Amino acid sequence: MRWLIVAVLSVLASGLHAQETDLLRQVLAELAAHPRVRADFTQSRENPALAQPQLSQGQLLFVSGNGMLWQVTQPYRETLALTGTRTARIDDHGHLQVVRNGDRGVAQVSQMLQSMLAGQPEEALRQFDVEARGSTSQWSLRFTPRQQRMARVLSAIELSGNEFLQGIDVEMQGGERTQIRFSGTRDAGTLSALEARALGVP
Amino acid sequence: MSMRGLHLRAGLFGVFALSTVVLGLWLLFGNHSVPIQTDLLAMLPATERHPLAEAAVDRLAHANGDRMVLVVANADDDAAKASARELGKALSREHAFDAVTAELPPFDLDQFVAPYLPYRFSLLSAADRTALTQPAYDPAQALARRLNEPFIAGIGTRLQDDPFGWLQHWLDQQPWSRSPLVPEDDLLTAHQDGLTYVMVIASLRGSSYDDGVQRDALGALDRAWHEASRDHPGSQLLRTGAVFYAAAARAGAERDMHVVGLTSTLGIALLLLWTFRSPRPLLVAFLSTAVGIVSALVATLLLFGQIHLLTLVFGAALLGEAVDYSIQYLCARANAGATWQPQRGVQQVRPALLLALGTSLLGYALLGLVPFPALRQMACFAMVGMTVSCLSVFWLLPVLSAAPARRSLSPQLVKLARGWQQHVMRLAHGRLGLAVLALLLAIAAPGWWRVGHDDDIHLLIAPPAALAQQEARIRAITGLGNGSQFYLVTGTTPELTLQREEALEQRLQSLVDQRQLGGWTGVAGMVPSAQRQRANQAALAPWFASGASMEATLVQAGIKASVANAYLAGWPGDVLKIDAWLSMPLSIPFRYLWMNQGDHSYASLVLPQGQDDVAVLRAAADGLQDVSLVDKPASVSALFGRYRQYASLWLLAALALVGAVFTWRYGRAAPRVLAPPLLGIGLAVAALGYAGQPLTLFHWMALMLVLGVGANYAVFMREGEPHTGHLPGASYASVLLSAVTALLSFGLLGLSTMPALQHFGITLLLGIGITALLAPASLPASEPSP
Repeated sequence: MRWLIVAVLSVLASGLHAQETDLLRQVLAELAAHPRVRADFTQSRENPALAQPQLSQGQLLFVSGNGMLWQVTQPYRETLALTGTRTARIDDHGHLQVVRNGDRGVAQVSQMLQSMLAGQPEEALRQFDVEARGSTSQWSLRFTPRQQRMARVLSAIELSGNEFLQGIDVEMQGGERTQIRFSGTRDAGTLSALEARALGVP
Repeated sequence: MSMRGLHLRAGLFGVFALSTVVLGLWLLFGNHSVPIQTDLLAMLPATERHPLAEAAVDRLAHANGDRMVLVVANADDDAAKASARELGKALSREHAFDAVTAELPPFDLDQFVAPYLPYRFSLLSAADRTALTQPAYDPAQALARRLNEPFIAGIGTRLQDDPFGWLQHWLDQQPWSRSPLVPEDDLLTAHQDGLTYVMVIASLRGSSYDDGVQRDALGALDRAWHEASRDHPGSQLLRTGAVFYAAAARAGAERDMHVVGLTSTLGIALLLLWTFRSPRPLLVAFLSTAVGIVSALVATLLLFGQIHLLTLVFGAALLGEAVDYSIQYLCARANAGATWQPQRGVQQVRPALLLALGTSLLGYALLGLVPFPALRQMACFAMVGMTVSCLSVFWLLPVLSAAPARRSLSPQLVKLARGWQQHVMRLAHGRLGLAVLALLLAIAAPGWWRVGHDDDIHLLIAPPAALAQQEARIRAITGLGNGSQFYLVTGTTPELTLQREEALEQRLQSLVDQRQLGGWTGVAGMVPSAQRQRANQAALAPWFASGASMEATLVQAGIKASVANAYLAGWPGDVLKIDAWLSMPLSIPFRYLWMNQGDHSYASLVLPQGQDDVAVLRAAADGLQDVSLVDKPASVSALFGRYRQYASLWLLAALALVGAVFTWRYGRAAPRVLAPPLLGIGLAVAALGYAGQPLTLFHWMALMLVLGVGANYAVFMREGEPHTGHLPGASYASVLLSAVTALLSFGLLGLSTMPALQHFGITLLLGIGITALLAPASLPASEPSP
């Protein structure tokens, strides 16, 4: 599978500098080596409408090819299942409620992240220009929208990490900045029945 | 009448014929466009009980019909987009199109949001409305969730305008948010199955059914696509739109017209040459027929303003019947030999021709009673054509063929006719006759037993498979509905109409929840009723009743006080009215869904998507006031069924009429004269039953013609025989000649690409063939039989 990813990438990213291509390729290969990952996250958000930044914490479960569970524990409890273009909330009884369906907004970014983390960057490269920096032990990828329409709203998304993804920074044109930091990243092990159901893992 | 009188009358008739030809040429080609109608639905009568439904069908047909929907596909994303962009540019350079949409104009997301801000407290999604009215609703938590959404919070509506995300949730449900096509590189794009699809829409500079518009547009598309795909091998073009179907129908009909017209003309010419062994009768026969057909064309154009393609194809087939009159006359001339006198000849054939014309006119008049515009045209065309052809025999032919024929009828034909006539007559009389009749009925009975019925609209409209396939693919990619089924919601005020639409939408939503429906597009989803909007405000009101507590909630969540105050100052805002919505640029693509017919008559169209089972769709409208499912194909099929039943009654009525005329003329021999056409009809139906072909309206129409034409043959036999006593078989030979010419023209319709005409042709082939073979049975037994 990996050779295929590399092959596809080298074709798609032919516009990049050779060095950057190499780095992007290595980073993606590294990320794809961990198809199921758990991590603790802290998200902080600044927005011109906010007097002080919003802070939230929780756990993330990422399953390559299926999507992610975004489980907030602070300041409130909520579990969102982001799968493909669908966003669903899991209520206290373990039922899924579709919150949003369609590839706009949050879903669009989460989809792009999902495909990147799964080592399938075609979709992301169609939508974004990528700038790779650093080395495989400490890298950052900066995605700027290629679509003018999206560029009016979104300035850039920056991913950074080492063996695992360590941080996501989202900058909006309206002045919103969202920083997500991951810690305690590890391979996921077995999924609970609820997790498997929410992400549609067989 | 003197020779001079004859010439004078022929001259007058000639002048009439010439001026008709000139008038016909002017009508056909004098104006800008050829007045030929190719819209197959235009030949159908109104099918809907609700007067607005027909208008709605029309409107939908124009909204979807007068444009080309093109989708460029390529596995390579850049190539797909580049070819679509070039296609768009190449198409805009063409004059055939009014407007071409390929690259979208630059616009701001704000344009989607700003117009709705004054109404933000009146527009709620169903989920939010339900949640807000729950006792456990906690605005602080809803706010926290929105502010801490993963990755992005403020896409779409900004936090300061919509901190809770309510307006955003409502906007998410708008049709442009749900479309599978997303703007990408300023193009409407979809990605599926590893392919990139890009949509290009070209609006025609006129109707899809206009001959000129059609030709220009198709030519322009070919040129443009050639140019656009040259540099991008592997790019595919999918196309759909009424214009492609209309062009295919036109091409099919033109092919039919040429095949039927040319083949029958050639066949008849050869047959006449062989029979009369001289070119003069051939020319005379064609002249008489041509005058009839041209007059029919002119009369139809004058009366209807345009002529339907179906009528033209039918007209090409009518040649075979119109030529019968001159054949009878020319046979009489050939049989008379040197003793020929044109005036006596006319007197001799007049009763037979008038009787034949009478029964034909009767048959076509009945056809004209069917309230299908195209059938009326055909009836008018046939009646004028037959009458003029017959008159030309009385007035023009005596002068054109005044001299006696130098050669008699082809002896082979007469011998053949005489042989068959003797066989039939031997079997058709006395006890043997009854036994043969019983045998024929016994053979036919199982066939009748097997006869079924079919009223499917696809008899009329059988689109080429390739076009239907492309349309299905485009629908799957773009999520466009099929447009032939929709809900019509009516009311005396906009408010009432919208409320009724909301009642329907509730049903549709539960179908969506059960995965029985993909979705729908309707105005009430974009402009809720005032009642619904007030309910939305009422759901919010408890939380906004005290501005101070709401402000506290917002500020505690982290929102700046100034932002919170500005937000609260917007409460409660306005209710979005239909007129305000209609004036928003955003509503342009959806305005055709709303109809204001004045006089307190409003209607809204709701288009369902992703369900082709009409029963499911119909059930959703059951019991809702002033909501109905309009299903044009089903209505047309039902109409076909109704008229098929009427047609069988009409056939009985026509039989009774012809029987009455025969009884008046032939007395007790009438049943014998009527027997051949009657058996022709019965055996043809039995044959169709054996062949497993279900009967349609068009079979029944053909059976009416079998009666008309078949009765002619019996009459020609009966009336002609006394004048050809010196030449046994000559009278039947002329009937056979008529029948073969009819078969050559009508029968060729069996080759038509249109199922309706095909059925028509096959039935006539069987019916007329059998009638002609049985025609000698109508002669009295006293005829000398060697």
